[in-house]
Amino acid sequence: MKRRSIGAGNLLFDVFVYLVMFFVLFCCLVPFLYMLAVSFSGRKPLVNGEVFLWPKEFTLDSYKQIFTYPNFFRAYGNTFLYAIAGTAIALVMTSLMAYPLSKKNLWGNRFFTKMVVVTMFFSGGLIPNYLLINTLRLAGTRFAILIPFAINSFNLIILINFFRSIPEEIEEAALIDGLGYFSILWRIVMPLSTAAVATIGLYYAVFFWNDWFNSLLYLRSDQYPVMMILRNIVNGTMVIGTGEGASEKTTIAISIKSAVIITSTVPIVVVYPFLQRFFVKGITIGGVKG
Amino acid sequence: MTKNAPAGVSIQRNSMLRRYMRRHWVLYAMLLLPVLYYIIFKYVPMVGNVLAFRRYRPGMSPFGTEWTMRYFERFLRDPMFWRAFRNTLVISVFNILVNFPIPIIFAILLNEVRIKPFQKFVQTVSYVPRFVSTVVVIAILNELLSPSSGLVNRLLESLGMEVIYFMNEPEWFRPVYILSETWQFTGWTAIIYLAAITSISPDLFEAAEIDGAGRLQRIWYVTVPCILPTIAVMLIINVGHMLRLGFEKVLLMYTPANSSVSDIIDTLVYRTGLQSQNYSYATAVGLFSGLIGLVLVISANTASKKLTGESIY
Repeated sequence: MKRRSIGAGNLLFDVFVYLVMFFVLFCCLVPFLYMLAVSFSGRKPLVNGEVFLWPKEFTLDSYKQIFTYPNFFRAYGNTFLYAIAGTAIALVMTSLMAYPLSKKNLWGNRFFTKMVVVTMFFSGGLIPNYLLINTLRLAGTRFAILIPFAINSFNLIILINFFRSIPEEIEEAALIDGLGYFSILWRIVMPLSTAAVATIGLYYAVFFWNDWFNSLLYLRSDQYPVMMILRNIVNGTMVIGTGEGASEKTTIAISIKSAVIITSTVPIVVVYPFLQRFFVKGITIGGVKG
Repeated sequence: MTKNAPAGVSIQRNSMLRRYMRRHWVLYAMLLLPVLYYIIFKYVPMVGNVLAFRRYRPGMSPFGTEWTMRYFERFLRDPMFWRAFRNTLVISVFNILVNFPIPIIFAILLNEVRIKPFQKFVQTVSYVPRFVSTVVVIAILNELLSPSSGLVNRLLESLGMEVIYFMNEPEWFRPVYILSETWQFTGWTAIIYLAAITSISPDLFEAAEIDGAGRLQRIWYVTVPCILPTIAVMLIINVGHMLRLGFEKVLLMYTPANSSVSDIIDTLVYRTGLQSQNYSYATAVGLFSGLIGLVLVISANTASKKLTGESIY
């Protein structure tokens, strides 16, 4: 009798768990599915508000439209540039710093580590940073985006911790074989740290890909990334879509906006499942300490 | 790695230092650029906070003409500042109340999913919002919640309810902001708890099962106590960082109509500093909130040291 009641309770609990999981799936996926549906739908169903999760009167018009905007194409290129170049610079700088600091008996290690930790507690605010970028004459150049974010202290510490987990004997053997520190870092340490490098590389890439605020502050409009275009559409600075009558205009604008959202989100979301297998290792080693 | 730092007589020490440098200068060469980076891009702006004490006159140097405390006096008497201060606190507290427990519950329930491929699938999907830009989140919200064409309002209409202008009405600002944070970060934050749960020894669960514990009881008497240390540390980190709200998101959600609740300290700094070019005033406000943040983080760190014997940083 008792066993059965536990069994029924278990079943009920299972039902509850799966309901929650389907609810989570629904919440995470529906916004994207809706955007997809809207971006591929024809004008009439959009005006009548008939589109839900599946496109109606399938058309590629919105995508054709955004790819004919010269602005959009250039912005898309800029986004790729910032994401790739920014991540490359950031990974080089972060590993150049993490490798020496991973050696606990390096002279000055404590000092340099303190120097990093202090910046995690307190930082110059928005205005001093803004004036600095302007004083350095970086504003209006692409370097204003690429250089000031080269090292993130949290990512740095994840990498230091990971480098420390590599057995010292491997490096000692390489040193005896006459390899310099640069070659050890490049040929031995980095390949052994793929999990951590992939993890923080993705963090950096996501940051550069998604950033718009710094572009707003420092870049000229021809240097804007695609997120900045989307921001201008969102707050009405940029008008999109042509059509007769206000309501038709707005519905077409919605479809085009959806197309911009989809095209600007898909690349970074697609990269991540490939790197996902590295995460758990990369995150748990940096751990809560990150 | 080579032998430890030398100790002993100073002459010997000197020559040993030279020998040490000859062998390891490459490591310091590696540090050169990054350290320079830290000095220029992290420490110079930190020192730049002295701007808060410099009298700024339009048309003259942005670094001010003389020393003064006037900006602190001014913002402490400014009702706009106190409004922003209150808004920041209110949003932060609600944000922790809602978004701290949800990932824990999600992680525990996800762990109870027995079909492993399905579990993996849900987890993967739940990360996705973390990779989306704040602009995209707001653009999606604008579309879903739009009073004329948005999915949500169409649903409300079909249920015979009134259309709500979610993105413009002050009373909807906080719920929309906090729920959008839930949407973005629940799956991602759950990783840490899930890692803690999977590291629990299966023996404990088996023992509980033999003792006749049901699944709820196993969760309550095994899972929760085992991840309690992780929960505690995460709570401390969360409280330490509570004032670091999603400034970009708030800025995008800010409209004149909802400014009474959506103006937080960071947006105030942005508006007074960069839009009205009141550099010194904005720096003073920013410095003030930075110092409160500093106190919070240091207290959090001390609390964590007491609790786990290990500091967070």
